[in-house]
Amino acid sequence: MFAAPLLQEATGIGALGVDLNSLIVYLINFGALALLLYFFAYKRVMRVLDERSTRIRESLEQADRVREQSVEAQASMQRALNEGREAGQAVLSEAREAAERYREQQAEQARTEAGAMLERARDEIRQERDAALEQVRAEFAGLAVTAAERIIHRSLDADAHRDLIDEVLAERESAGGGG
Amino acid sequence: MIRALLPKLPIALVAGLAVAGLALGAIGAALLGNEPFIRVPEVHLAPQEVFTIGGFTVTNTLLSAWLTTVVVLLIFGLGSRKAALVPGRMQGAIEMLFEALYGFIKGVVGERYGRAFFPILATMFIFVAFNAWMALLPIYPTVGFKADGADYVTTHLLRSAGTDINLPLALAIISFVFVEVWGFKAQRFGYLKEFFRFRNPIDFFVGVLEIVSHLIRLVSFTFRLFGNMVAGEIILVMITFLLVFMAPIAFYLLEILVGGVQALIFMGLTLVFAFMAVAPHGADHEETHAP
Repeated sequence: MFAAPLLQEATGIGALGVDLNSLIVYLINFGALALLLYFFAYKRVMRVLDERSTRIRESLEQADRVREQSVEAQASMQRALNEGREAGQAVLSEAREAAERYREQQAEQARTEAGAMLERARDEIRQERDAALEQVRAEFAGLAVTAAERIIHRSLDADAHRDLIDEVLAERESAGGGG
Repeated sequence: MIRALLPKLPIALVAGLAVAGLALGAIGAALLGNEPFIRVPEVHLAPQEVFTIGGFTVTNTLLSAWLTTVVVLLIFGLGSRKAALVPGRMQGAIEMLFEALYGFIKGVVGERYGRAFFPILATMFIFVAFNAWMALLPIYPTVGFKADGADYVTTHLLRSAGTDINLPLALAIISFVFVEVWGFKAQRFGYLKEFFRFRNPIDFFVGVLEIVSHLIRLVSFTFRLFGNMVAGEIILVMITFLLVFMAPIAFYLLEILVGGVQALIFMGLTLVFAFMAVAPHGADHEETHAP
């Protein structure tokens, strides 16, 4: 069985060992190998490669979409930010104007109130002065009566004296310019 | 002292082996007047018979082809068994090879024909390359049977199938049939017009030349692969005979390269011929890629 005769007994091209049986076996062997590799290797691996390629393509497309969305969102955010900033500026400027108006209004009101208070104070002072003058006048009349009584040592009717004094004072005031 | 010399040990080992190889090899033996360490190799162009089954002779190259087939099926079948979307190392390596081969094929003939051609062309590359690379294993030149009375291996159990002319011839026939079938499939009867031209005598002669050029591919394919594989084997045997150690390593590396290159050439030429066959006649310079 395990003998080892050399096959190249022939001469010429036959010495190379061309053998139809071996040739057929090699052909069948290659065909079987190609077929088995096709079903157990090529088909599986190529399917996986295709699937991976599809996944990668989809992922890249998705990434592009996300990037575009992100850019859009960023632009939208920037727009909203600008609008907000502008609105803020407007509100701020309006608030400033309102504050200015309020300040002026308050200042005006304070000025008005201060004027009114001043006027009231003047009225009160005037009234106080008039009252004081009235009081002084009354006291002076009594004092004059008392003084006259002492000087002339006689009793006079008090009402008559007072009328007399008032008359004198009125004359004097009119003569002195209301001092 | 020993620690200082330790890094130089590999260099010393290599140098020692090289010197020993030179001394033990045929060159050193001739110079020193000794018998060479390895006996003079014999070159058998034809494969050797290992055993017979029902009158069919099983040769060492045929065994080698079967072994390569089994190994290739195990590697590629098991490696792509799970075929997961996230590949493991083995699947990754297989994918890398398939992608490289498919990219090469697609680059020449385009997507449509690339898909169709891939299984046959990839099998050609894988079988030729693995067959050549496996033949570099030490088991190939050492394990075998001794003839009665011989004190050395007279019949090797395994021998690179590429060195058996029947394998390159079988691959050449497959390549030829593949090209012609695809040419006919793509162009129908228009493909035959390339060979059978009757407009004038010169055109007729061109047709005959075309037939001859297609048939001659069988011879060129066969002897290119056969010659390279046999030459590689002979070089390895002879260099081992002459210098025994170290020097053969360089030639082993060269043979690894040669195996891959020959596989690529076989596949590449078949691909180019197939492309020429499927491309519409006269459009070779216009449309270089199939749709």
